[in-house]
Amino acid sequence: MNKKDFRYLSTPYLIWLYALAVTPVIIMFVLMFLKTEGVTIDEETSLTLSNFSLLIEPSTVVAFYNSFKFGILTTITCIVLGYLVAYKIYRSHFGNKFLVLTVLILPMWSNMLLRTEALGNIMEPNNILADLLSRMGIDLYINIKGTDFAVLIGLVFNYLPFMILPIYTALEKIDPSLEEAALDLGLTEMNKFWKVVYPLSSKGIVTGSIMVFLPSLSGFAIPEILGKGNVFMLGNLIQQKFVQMEYFYGSILAIIILVLILGSLMILNKVDKEGETLL
Amino acid sequence: MMEKATLQEYGFKDYTNLKKVYQIITKIIVALIIVALYLPIFIILIQSVNSSTDLAVFDTFTLKWYVEIFRHDTLTSVIVNTFIVSVCATTISTIAGTFIAIGINALPAKKRQRIIILNNIPLLNADIVTGIGIMLVFSVLLPIFPYIFGFPVLLIAHVFFTLPYVILSVLPKLKEVDPNIMDAAVDLGVKPYKALVKIVLPAVKAGIFSGMLLAFTMSVDDFVISYFTTGNGFDNLSIWIYGSIGRKSLTPAVYAFSTLLTLFTLSVLFISNFARKKGNKK
Repeated sequence: MNKKDFRYLSTPYLIWLYALAVTPVIIMFVLMFLKTEGVTIDEETSLTLSNFSLLIEPSTVVAFYNSFKFGILTTITCIVLGYLVAYKIYRSHFGNKFLVLTVLILPMWSNMLLRTEALGNIMEPNNILADLLSRMGIDLYINIKGTDFAVLIGLVFNYLPFMILPIYTALEKIDPSLEEAALDLGLTEMNKFWKVVYPLSSKGIVTGSIMVFLPSLSGFAIPEILGKGNVFMLGNLIQQKFVQMEYFYGSILAIIILVLILGSLMILNKVDKEGETLL
Repeated sequence: MMEKATLQEYGFKDYTNLKKVYQIITKIIVALIIVALYLPIFIILIQSVNSSTDLAVFDTFTLKWYVEIFRHDTLTSVIVNTFIVSVCATTISTIAGTFIAIGINALPAKKRQRIIILNNIPLLNADIVTGIGIMLVFSVLLPIFPYIFGFPVLLIAHVFFTLPYVILSVLPKLKEVDPNIMDAAVDLGVKPYKALVKIVLPAVKAGIFSGMLLAFTMSVDDFVISYFTTGNGFDNLSIWIYGSIGRKSLTPAVYAFSTLLTLFTLSVLFISNFARKKGNKK
């Protein structure tokens, strides 16, 4: 095929990406050094470095600490649970693995906020589940809403499917004859897993970790609903700054998240050049 | 007389029992994880048939909230808004994404990788940064287009973050297409663009379809990006729910709507699965 005919089909997209993905970064970068309301530039606007004092404010430090704490904890929990589920599906003898995977993704099709709110409701001492169970004679007492643990549960079960899918995709691509060869050459089941299966599926773990770590670090709805305002994260801080029209503060924080994302893109580009495990 | 060495003496360890225990434990954990994933859906279901508006008590079984979906003055309009935005965004990004993927596939390797890196940005970028970014671009343009926030920007934002899903779904399928088929078609006198529509598109339709499904899923469920890019009173379901949770005025009709949606997707899934099985047998 004379492929060259179709090359220019991708050119408009390149322009689109520059306009909507690269231009905002430039705007944010400029805003970082301006003291102004929103994006208006008038006589009162001045160039300044004082905006960066935001970074040493106690609330900012707490937000960073919380974000990284929850980001890392959520990612680790998701790796452990997600790998287990993905591996079980991969090893299972279900005829239709597509259906099994869809069953896992299905909860994502109902609204994320609504699911979080429902989860929050049953984390309170008087809740509908406890009410129904008490009629059957079972006493259930949970009171964790507003704690770190509640936020962690919310984050893990919201983002777990994003970990299961890439790991499963990576596992599925392993040539089964490699495993047979490993066993033939005398490896035990355990060694086979650690020396053959795990390294070949690590690509999926990297992709999954990025897809879980970044949103759990920057989200603001889950900590707000399940943390009842006790857990303040980077996402909450950014939202607050933009609502208060302090775009310059919000831009600084957004740029920091962007740097983290660029780092992840570089890692991803090393392990997965064509974005194969992303879907 | 020498006794025969047993397998154990050769270093064989019998793990059969341990393996069984491991199998049972992992099965229980996986089952618990699935239960946990479905717990919120289940609570939403109970809440939707509860006649009491008190979230803590189950009063009596009722279907009145299912009728309320169509009577509630704002819920109906936000549901319509959500579907208009998602259907439009999915249609645009499915069509555009397919052609862009064909273009990317035709690029030399170096250029292709560069555009794929850029394509990954909306996909991996934190929603909050994507949302703020688009909001900033159009805030700067606001003096030129004063009423752009609301539906137009929301649609652009949704197309922006759903396009990469379509492109990434179509690209691997395009790689599998035998380039000789296109050559054959062109040699036989078919114009390149006609050959594209008649030969390449049918070959990658599975990728287009899964990309479309992904795009729609992401678009319907989006909250953060919509939250920052909408305006002028144009709310979608997520934004409205967020506001209602904040005001503690969430109507149980939302739970009813969510349950209907879940049942609908479940039945579509099982019907399509059943139909495929039947098709395979033939």
